Parts: sequence; C-alpha cells; structure tokens
Amino acid sequence: MREAFAMWRHTQMVVLVALSAAIYAALLIPFKGIPLVPGFIEIRPANAFPVVFGLLFGPAGAWGAAIGNLIGDFFGTLSLGSIGGFVGNFFLALLPYKMWGAYFRSGENMEPNVDSGKKFGVYVALAFLSSVIGAVIISWFIDLLGLIPFTASLLLITPNNAIMAIILGPILLLALYPRVKRWGLLWTEIMNPEEVSGSRLQKVGNVLVWIGGLGAAGVGLLISYWGGIQGLGVGLGLAPFLVLIVVGSFMLGGREQVEAAEELIAVEEEESRA
Amino acid sequence: MDPSLYLDRDTWVHHLDPRTKIFLLLGMFVLPFVFLSPLYEAAVLVLVLLFGYLAKVLENLRRIWFILVTIALLTVILWSIFGSGQTPLFLFVEQEALLYGISIALRIDITIIAGMIFLSTTRNEEVAIGLVRLGLPYRFAFAVSTALRLVPTIVTTGLTISQAQRSRGLDLKSGSVVQRIRKYVPLLVPVFVSTIRSTNVFSMALESKGFGASPKRTFFLQTAVGRRDVLTLIAFTALLAGSVALRVAGYGGLEGFSR
Repeated sequence: MREAFAMWRHTQMVVLVALSAAIYAALLIPFKGIPLVPGFIEIRPANAFPVVFGLLFGPAGAWGAAIGNLIGDFFGTLSLGSIGGFVGNFFLALLPYKMWGAYFRSGENMEPNVDSGKKFGVYVALAFLSSVIGAVIISWFIDLLGLIPFTASLLLITPNNAIMAIILGPILLLALYPRVKRWGLLWTEIMNPEEVSGSRLQKVGNVLVWIGGLGAAGVGLLISYWGGIQGLGVGLGLAPFLVLIVVGSFMLGGREQVEAAEELIAVEEEESRA
Repeated sequence: MDPSLYLDRDTWVHHLDPRTKIFLLLGMFVLPFVFLSPLYEAAVLVLVLLFGYLAKVLENLRRIWFILVTIALLTVILWSIFGSGQTPLFLFVEQEALLYGISIALRIDITIIAGMIFLSTTRNEEVAIGLVRLGLPYRFAFAVSTALRLVPTIVTTGLTISQAQRSRGLDLKSGSVVQRIRKYVPLLVPVFVSTIRSTNVFSMALESKGFGASPKRTFFLQTAVGRRDVLTLIAFTALLAGSVALRVAGYGGLEGFSR
C-alpha cells in the first residue's frame, strides 16, 4: 500500500485525485439514475467510474473515488455515514488495480484495458468483487452505527455499484484507456517502481481478498438476516473477513505492473526509433 | 447551475473559525447518538434547527427536504421490519421497533441537517484551510478544495453535453435497462475527456507557481480562534456532557427494543 501515500509526492497524481473526485461528485448531480425499484433503488451512471478510475489512475483513482463520494455527500447528505462511504469507495477503486496484476504472468501484456476476452473476464470479476467489498464496508459501518440494517444496505448498495461497473465500465475503459495512455496519465507511467509496494505471495493475497469479500457478504447476510444479529454482533462477525481483505491487499503489491509498463514503453520507443 | 450550499450571510456562525465549525459538526454527529428515545431525538433536532435559524441558512432545507423525507420513511419501514419489541402494534410490527425506527430516522436527518448547516456557513476555502490547520497534509486538503471548486464547472459541462446529445436525438428514457445504461456513454466520455485532458497543463501551472516547493506554506486566507470560538466550544461541550450525564442517569433510552 506504499503507493497510496507515496503518490502524493507527484503533482500529476494530486491533480488526478482532484479531477477524478470532481468528475465522480459532479456526475452524481446532473445525470439522474435509472430506477430499478422506483423510489428505493436507482442505479447511477457515475457508479461506473470508481473501478475505471482505479484501473487507470491507481492510488490517485482510489483517493479520487473516496473524496468524490464525500463531496457528493457535501451537496446534501453529509452525515456520520459519509465516513463509511469514504472508506468503501476507496476500496472499490483500490482493489481492481491491486488485484489486476495477479491474473497475468510475468512478461504477459497486463495493460488495464478490456481488449481481449481474458482481460474482459478479469475486469468483470474484479468489478463484481470490489462492488461487493465496497458495499460490505459501507453496510458494516452504518450497521455498527445502528443506522440501517446490514442486510438491507448490502442488498441496496451492491447492485447499485456492480451493475454500472459491469455494463458501462468496459465501454468506458475501451474509449478512455488509449487517450489516457497517450497523455501519459496512467498511474504506472507516473509512479516509479520503488514507490510501489512489491507483491508477497501475490496469488495467496488474491485468494484472501476473494475469501474476505465473499465471506464477509455471505456471513454478514447469514448472521444479520437469518441469525437476527445486528450492530456489534455483525461488526465482530465480519471483522476477520475485513482483516483478510486488508492483509490480502497488502500482499498484492503492484510494482510488477509499473515495471511491465516501463518495459512496454521502452519497447514502443525502440520500435518507433527503428 | 450552482450545486454549492454556501449562503453568504453576516451571522456569528459564519464568522466562526473553520476549525470550530468542524468540531461543532463532529459534535453534532455525536449528540444524536447519545439518545435512543424519539422524544429526546426530537429535542436534539429542535436544537440543530435553532442553530440553523441563528445562522440564517434554513432556506437550504428546501433543497434537501426530499432526501430527508425519503430517508426517514425508508428507515422507519426498515426498522419496523428488522427490529423487534414486546408490544404488538399491527401485523408483525411491534411498538418498540416502530419507535426505534423513528429515533433512527431522526438521528440520520439530524446529522444530514448538521452537515447542511456546516456547508451553508463554510466556504470551500475555509474547509480546506480548516483541514490543514487540523493537521491534514496540505496536498490532501488541496485535492479536496480543488475538487469542490471544480464540481459546478463539471456539472455545467455535463448539462451542456447532455443537452447537445439530446438535440441530436439521444433518448435516455427508452429501451431496456442495459440499453439505457449504454446510452450514457456519449455523455460520460466527453465529460471525462474534457476534464482529464487538462491534467498536464494544470500540473505544470501548479509547479510553475511553486506548488510543493517548500514544505511550509503560507495562506492568503487568515483564520484565528477567537473568544467567540472558545465560548461556542465551551457551551457545546457542556451541552454534550450534560446529554451524556442525562443518558447515564437513565433518561433518553428505549425500553423493550431488541435488534
């Protein structure tokens, strides 16, 4: 996770945090959502952005999604629950870029785009998992505060995040990735390898995040809905799974993506010179 | 279209130091969590509304009333279903669960109204400087304040693009859910591209003006904690302590409710 703090040294990354936060917050306002259950559940197009921000801008995208969600709350719904929204959205954008490298072998093209069947499959899986984890974190926090029952908020937030990220995200990524790459704004191009934490047992870390995410959602629903336990009970029940997610995220690293990007740039420069 | 909630008024609340306002906001977030009885929550709501009245910003309630009502109704319904009590009321709903739902609805609405009052009395620049003075890194505060400042511009761009695409025949209201979702692409891509393409110029402009050149920086906006701030904080701390004492003494709870 070193890069989440080291990125603040780069002016470009600071600007990317500000701009991605502004885009995320701003798009929550003019484009009304599509109601799934009128009056209760609506999906908003802006929800496609955190995963895309994470893959393109890495840690800057994660901070951007977190701050953007907080700023969205600034326009009417700022409350104690906003803290959960901040952390949940941070992980919603953080996990896709952290986990992306775990699905590609060393030397394989691991550009965060969806221009192949394998990459599309990885994108969909990661968008789904990060949506579940983001929703688990927010639901866990607001249930702990005694505001909304875990089951209800998890079932409201997960589809809200996942549907847009899965349907709209790949199209956005296909359209935006070449431009962002051309402008030299991919996080792997801005940050240096030594500023990014290296992976330790990357595959194990990947499995831990999956177990943590799906386990937290499953066990949370089980003890909250069928077990009738809420508040601190849900909080304690989910704590081990949330620890797995955090530990897994630390193990995933990300340096290999930066090194792969550097190699790719070197090859492209050599080709253009030739 | 300006989505900002800030209202420029000449009141003592507006003149408080941003740090004082941030502490008051945090305190207002804590206060409703002290009690569980709807009656006591209603008293806290009255107090918060009185504070908003003194700050002359209650007109912003008109902008968020729909959110407040929707959240309140949803919360009461949810807790009536998920909570349980001892006194049957109707069907499967128990009186204690309904009362708890009302309390939680008031609790959420109080925190949202407190947030609204904070944003209605504090300019973006003050939020940023308040965060820095409280010890947050300047670069983080800069990102927050820049994003806040850019939101109205991007909203306007979004609306312009939306109107332009609709005039070309884009219809967001027809088709299946998946088709309707895909129709947002011609709206989202231009907003993203028009904003992100300025990153490099923005970064160069910042660095040419010495952004990050020195670890310690000065600010155009000067803020200071004065006597008014100290008195306000003392009064609020006394109120919070009094509320906790009341709760410890056995007032403001809700008997018979279980989650």
